[in-house]
Amino acid sequence: MPHSLAGTRIRQQRKRVGLSQTALAAKVGISTSYLNLIEHNKRRIAGKILLSIARELGVPASTLTEGADSELTNTLLEAAAHSSEKPAEIATLAEFAGRFPGWSQLLGSTYRQTREQEDVIAALSDRLTHDPFLAESLHLMLSNITAIRSTAEILTTVSDLTVEQSTRFHAAIYEESKRLSDATQALIQYFDKTEEPETTVEPSLEGLMLDTATMPLEQFAARARASDYNPSILAAEFSTTLHAVFQRLAGLKHEGIDAPEMGLIITNAAGQTLHRHALPDFPLPRHGNACPLWPVFQGFSQPERPLQDMIELPSGAQFVTLTIALPRTEPVFGTPPDYQSAMLFVPRAQSPWPAMTQTARPVGTSCRICPRENCSARSEKTVL
Amino acid sequence: MVKRILIVEDEPNIIESLSFLLERAGFAISSEQDGARAMDQIRALSPDLVILDVMLPNRSGFDILRDIGALPEGPHVLMLTAKGQARDRQTAEDIGVTRFMTKPFANAEIVATVQEMLA
Repeated sequence: MPHSLAGTRIRQQRKRVGLSQTALAAKVGISTSYLNLIEHNKRRIAGKILLSIARELGVPASTLTEGADSELTNTLLEAAAHSSEKPAEIATLAEFAGRFPGWSQLLGSTYRQTREQEDVIAALSDRLTHDPFLAESLHLMLSNITAIRSTAEILTTVSDLTVEQSTRFHAAIYEESKRLSDATQALIQYFDKTEEPETTVEPSLEGLMLDTATMPLEQFAARARASDYNPSILAAEFSTTLHAVFQRLAGLKHEGIDAPEMGLIITNAAGQTLHRHALPDFPLPRHGNACPLWPVFQGFSQPERPLQDMIELPSGAQFVTLTIALPRTEPVFGTPPDYQSAMLFVPRAQSPWPAMTQTARPVGTSCRICPRENCSARSEKTVL
Repeated sequence: MVKRILIVEDEPNIIESLSFLLERAGFAISSEQDGARAMDQIRALSPDLVILDVMLPNRSGFDILRDIGALPEGPHVLMLTAKGQARDRQTAEDIGVTRFMTKPFANAEIVATVQEMLA
């Protein structure tokens, strides 16, 4: 513990209580010049004089003799050693920490944060290097790119290709580019999955009980087929809500029933996904970052109005959608209704519902992985 | 006499384009997609040059390279791989690879490299 700091502390405490050097020196029975030397750390102080000064300043003697916190001093030392800049003044470190404890703490904690962040970066970098999925994906993508580049180069530089060769090389480019886009999509989904916490909300227990109790599987499946999967008819027949029917319809294929494969997303007004059942060509983001152009969000602007739409994803896949926003609970006077919007969707080619339009409206999946430029709904840059 | 090249590569479209390019350059080409069968093919065909991928099904290109190194009069080896990191190159050189190229490649570059190796 460096005694040299005691003078600095005495000076700080004296100023705090508003005493002059002369006044304090007189109270403890020493000369002003001697106190001045002490305060400038040019005389060591201990024993009776230290106790007297402490008493006059109204602080425990230890407050005056304590050096800087050793953990802090060590951290600052570490920071100085770690820095590649001009070396800090190690010799005056203790004095610095003693005179400027707040700044020292700030410097120490900034250094610790920097180190922690460096550790995180190192761990992520390590993961990028050694993650088997990433390694496999990158290898696959490089192979696809190699095949595409080499084949495209042949097509553009070799003038005497036969029709058969030309056709074969074009087919190879198509095949490889499709594999490349699949690999890219898988990679983006992998990053999405690992960056975000798992937030998929399972259907509520109440919802599940409602499904099975009011809509027994076989009976529901038969009536669904008979009604051409018309949710309005089914809701009326089974005396339940359209959202419950949507859930039951989206689950039919999973239950082993021969029915069109339907996807479903239910969100609250904040855009949080409460229930999701994705389809292979229609991935659903986990949480709040879906495309705002999806009908499920437009449901909130026209609550309780059934909406039928046809949309086209950037992949070219088209889906017919049925959407309706319904209040979650019975209306309560004086309380705004809490709406949830549900969108049931089916690939256009499998749609059992009569077409309302022949034109599909372009939408995205989520901005990050959406290639649509100049989209008025874009909220963040694409990584593509 | 026409020089013979064996392409050991699991990606059929890369085999297709390499075969096309090297046949046009006057070489006789054979190919093998399975790492485990590569050595049998090398023994059977006695190629002058093997173009060898690293990540192959059933057997790594590095293992095949070791076996080629043990042959009394083995072929030249051009390692052609997406694994272009320094340590992979080092591993290949330690085992005794003749040349090392990374994917993706320029067609003219690979043809020139092969011609140079078999000159």
